[in-house]
Amino acid sequence: MLVFTLTNLKMMSRNRQATFWALFFPLMLVVAFGLLDIKGVGSPNLVLVDQANTEASKLLREQLAGIEFLGLEQTPTSEVAARLRVAEGDLDYLLIIPVGFVDLSPEGSSIAPASVALVHNSRDLQRNQLVEGVLRNLVARVQPTSLSNAQALHVVSEEVTIPEVSYFDSVLMGLIALGIMTSAIISIPVRISTYRNNSILKRLLVTPLPIWKYFASEISAHLVLAMVQAGIILAVGVFVFGARVHGNPVWLFFIVPLGSLVFLNIGFILSAWARTPAAASGMGNAVVLPMMFFAGTFFSTTTFPWIFPYLAEALPLTPMLSAMRQVAIDGAPLWETWPQLAIMAGWAAGTAVVAAKVFRFS
Amino acid sequence: MDTAIRVEGLVKRYGSFTAVDQVSFTVNRGEIFGILGPNGAGKTTTLEVIEGLLAPTEGEVTVLGLDVLKRRNEVKARIGVQLQSSAYFDYLSLKEILSLLGSFYPKCIEPQTLLEQVGLLDKSGSYVKHLSGGQVQRFTVAASLINDPELLFLDEPTTGLDPQARRNIWDLIREIHQRGVTVVLTTHYMEEAEELCDRLAIMDGGSLKAVDTPRNLVGRLKAAYTVKLAMDKPLTEEQMASLKGSVEFVQEFDGNSYLLRLKSGPSSLGKVLDDMVRSDINLERLEIAPVTLEDVFLELTGNELRD
Repeated sequence: MLVFTLTNLKMMSRNRQATFWALFFPLMLVVAFGLLDIKGVGSPNLVLVDQANTEASKLLREQLAGIEFLGLEQTPTSEVAARLRVAEGDLDYLLIIPVGFVDLSPEGSSIAPASVALVHNSRDLQRNQLVEGVLRNLVARVQPTSLSNAQALHVVSEEVTIPEVSYFDSVLMGLIALGIMTSAIISIPVRISTYRNNSILKRLLVTPLPIWKYFASEISAHLVLAMVQAGIILAVGVFVFGARVHGNPVWLFFIVPLGSLVFLNIGFILSAWARTPAAASGMGNAVVLPMMFFAGTFFSTTTFPWIFPYLAEALPLTPMLSAMRQVAIDGAPLWETWPQLAIMAGWAAGTAVVAAKVFRFS
Repeated sequence: MDTAIRVEGLVKRYGSFTAVDQVSFTVNRGEIFGILGPNGAGKTTTLEVIEGLLAPTEGEVTVLGLDVLKRRNEVKARIGVQLQSSAYFDYLSLKEILSLLGSFYPKCIEPQTLLEQVGLLDKSGSYVKHLSGGQVQRFTVAASLINDPELLFLDEPTTGLDPQARRNIWDLIREIHQRGVTVVLTTHYMEEAEELCDRLAIMDGGSLKAVDTPRNLVGRLKAAYTVKLAMDKPLTEEQMASLKGSVEFVQEFDGNSYLLRLKSGPSSLGKVLDDMVRSDINLERLEIAPVTLEDVFLELTGNELRD
């Protein structure tokens, strides 16, 4: 089996054209995204913690809710919980209205005014300035005009430094997964249909080679290829285009082969229907391209309409991307991604059973 | 004599289509056994059941004393198989393909030794796609010998080859046979069957028509010569009846042409020709040839062997 695996790798390395293109497609996208420096298109979210609960603070909330761009969340939450979310990068802006925020009622005027605190993360400098300006304006507007400049309330900005994540860091993980998925789902059916048409599979069947060894060697060779591919794409992204991996990159190389295994199995399933290599390549693309979009390789699917967010959950690429991003973006260790790894293992087992059922030699 | 293969009551059906119907024969150790028949006769199916590639619908197959169905892997380790039109891996040299195939067997011959035997030693570093048709065929024979088999199956080893390349393969098969390997081959070339085989099975439409040595098969016809006649008008029934009375076998083909078989030499043709002259029939063409397997085949199957 080792001989067969090594021989398979030898064939792949000699078939330079196919191997080159398998690598070239994701690399081309790495270059495109790296050069374009596309910013994340996500809109911010804002939480308002109202400790004053006065007419003015209610007015402020109404006005904030009126600005759709800010994405004011309506669910009440505590200051501690909200601050934690900012620190984790889940929340972009937290506005705290302290007790003693300007009280429009006559009896409240005796309380000393306190400053409004804006807590935000350090990720998007330009957006931070914009949001801060908007908030200062609004706060000034809800104050009675009678207040003197000295009494006027201020917005105190408080920055929480969190690791900087660019859109490119996130999309790089998507491109690694894309490269691995493409080479597995397209290459396996193309190879199998070629072998079947040339009676190579039959030629193997007349030897005493247990046929599982053939599959094992095909799979191990592709897993090695997947690791090399991931390594090259990651290296180009990091060293040429300055992407950052916040977690331990070694963990990625545990997620990659598991994902690759799922896609190889899908490739074996497709090969059952592909009569010619050309048909195989078409079928592979028909699976790969929609999966690429709906699993969130390039952009988050949570804002998709209709059933698409649920569809994303039903795709095997989604847990792989999620696990890779947890490691690379959020700096999580491998074991914290176990739910995703478990889903991928389930996919691997399920697709293996189907592949074994539908596979045909001639 | 030792038996290499015993096939008993073999039936292979695909749905309602019967590819092989009640075929029984034995192959002795040390002989070259040929299965002769047109395309679609069931030759390849029969071979693939014997090789353990296909499960028979009915019947029993014993190879080298082993039940093929139950001890498939033991059988596979001891036989060599050359498939009809099998290609090989791209991007692997001849030597590498042989090493890979050899790694599947408990014992194997050095790739270089095999390549030398088939005269391809200088091509050991080439890819299969760079070989000529005859060279590919020689290579596939070499590949089927990688495990030093006791029994070698060759499925149409010379189909599509030019006469020179065909003779080279024949020489190679004789050489292998002389080393004590039992050879089973299928062919639809009469010449090949006559030239190479110790014994022949004639198959048509999925069933076995005869098994014997080429000489005995020809001898069965009880005729020594075949005569082809072409004349200017068809024979009347009366003339036909008189013709049938004086020769062994008459068959009409292509309108005014007839095939006759004569028991003895051309001299017995005299009476036939006399009859024709008397009946005012003008002969346009006359061919006389010794009886061959082609005639045996024609008589057994009612068909000419199509290419």
